[in-house]
Amino acid sequence: MRHMQSSKLLKMIILALMGTISLALLFLNFPLPFLPPFLKVDFSEVPALIASFIFSPIAGVIVIAIKNALYLLFGFGEPVGVAANFVAGIMFVLPVSLLYHKYKNVKSIVSGLVVGTIVMAIGMSVINYFVLLPLYAIIMGIEEYKSVEVVRQIVVIGVLPFNVIKGIIVGVLFIPLFNKMHKWIEQERSNFAA
Amino acid sequence: MSNSLIIGQYVPGQSIVHRLDPRTKIIMIFFFVFIVFFANSVPSYSILAFFAFGSIVLSRIPFRFILKGLTPIWFLIGFTFLLHIIITREGAVLVDLVVLKIYSGGLIQGFAISLRFFLLILVTSLLTLTTTPIEITDAIETLLNPLKKVKFPVHELALMMSISLRFIPTLMQEMDKISKAQASRGVDFRTGPIKERAKAIVPLLVPLFVSAFKRAEDLAMAMEARGYQGGEGRTKLRILRISGRDWVALFLFAVVLAGLFATRHYS
Repeated sequence: MRHMQSSKLLKMIILALMGTISLALLFLNFPLPFLPPFLKVDFSEVPALIASFIFSPIAGVIVIAIKNALYLLFGFGEPVGVAANFVAGIMFVLPVSLLYHKYKNVKSIVSGLVVGTIVMAIGMSVINYFVLLPLYAIIMGIEEYKSVEVVRQIVVIGVLPFNVIKGIIVGVLFIPLFNKMHKWIEQERSNFAA
Repeated sequence: MSNSLIIGQYVPGQSIVHRLDPRTKIIMIFFFVFIVFFANSVPSYSILAFFAFGSIVLSRIPFRFILKGLTPIWFLIGFTFLLHIIITREGAVLVDLVVLKIYSGGLIQGFAISLRFFLLILVTSLLTLTTTPIEITDAIETLLNPLKKVKFPVHELALMMSISLRFIPTLMQEMDKISKAQASRGVDFRTGPIKERAKAIVPLLVPLFVSAFKRAEDLAMAMEARGYQGGEGRTKLRILRISGRDWVALFLFAVVLAGLFATRHYS
């Protein structure tokens, strides 16, 4: 059993390192065929998932926040896109980790990934429709994005299918990874729970 | 070499912009992002452009570095410009190409919006070009200090950010090492369908996670042994100090601000 203070410090350091790994995975991104090049898939949610399983759903949110903050600090992205990535990450990770903490088996993870993908796809569509695209319209002065029809088309053709495909690809990676690591995850989880 | 791996835009230097307190820079850029949207006349845009280019000259960063950082943005700027030229139907017709008529209003508006966007990116990237990520973290920690009153864990988040930053090269190197080890066993990360490539990453991630936990334990123990007890009463290695040049910079920025509001159109 670990000492109280040191267990809190250790947890913070682990989340920091998971954030670093998440950032590294964010750089290994790739665009999808048939979709606009600024919609890219990456595996940066995976460390957040692992952290959220071992500690709590909030731990996953912290890892995602660290990743996005680092990305901004290095001057790679503009704040609106980074904020969108942050919200998408939370909407994907929270359902998976909540279901995992409730049932703690592979089946709950598969259904969690499905729910997470749906939540992220629908949530990002709604946010793009009501917030992000209008915001870009104001920043860039594009009158076109203010038209409901154009925004609806961007969401239906771009945002919605992209997030579904992204969720599926991350899930395809995550399930074999979880199968390999679930014993280790369980052990670390009970270490920290003690 | 992954040893000398540099990520991010930071260009080391000793210019006056480099030596400004990071808090001063953050505050100025924060306001600049808002005031850019108030410019609507030739003099007001000129003042903002003068401020942006003046800061770049003072930073002594070669212009090609800045342009390199802008590469992903050119497309957006060009796209916005074209869109305005095609869509806006105000003012006199300048060019009549049967299918496409270019109006003077479109040209002016397209130019103004692109310029606004360009200045925005220029000034914000100047922050990351002249300030190390660790300096920005320190500055944000002090700027957010008042949030401690509402129990927001400012210190904890800043500590996690610093640790994260510190371990980027280490973990990148480790990733490189593991992927080479896997490649020597014949794992192919670069070709094949997406599903196969995704599966090839699994043997890379497992050791990465496990070793990150080991590293974390070592670091936690080392920090404990040196008496780390959380944020209260912790002293800093680098202390941020507001000096004379920061006040000068803030004063000049206030002059720019006043000039902008004096020269913009009010209708």
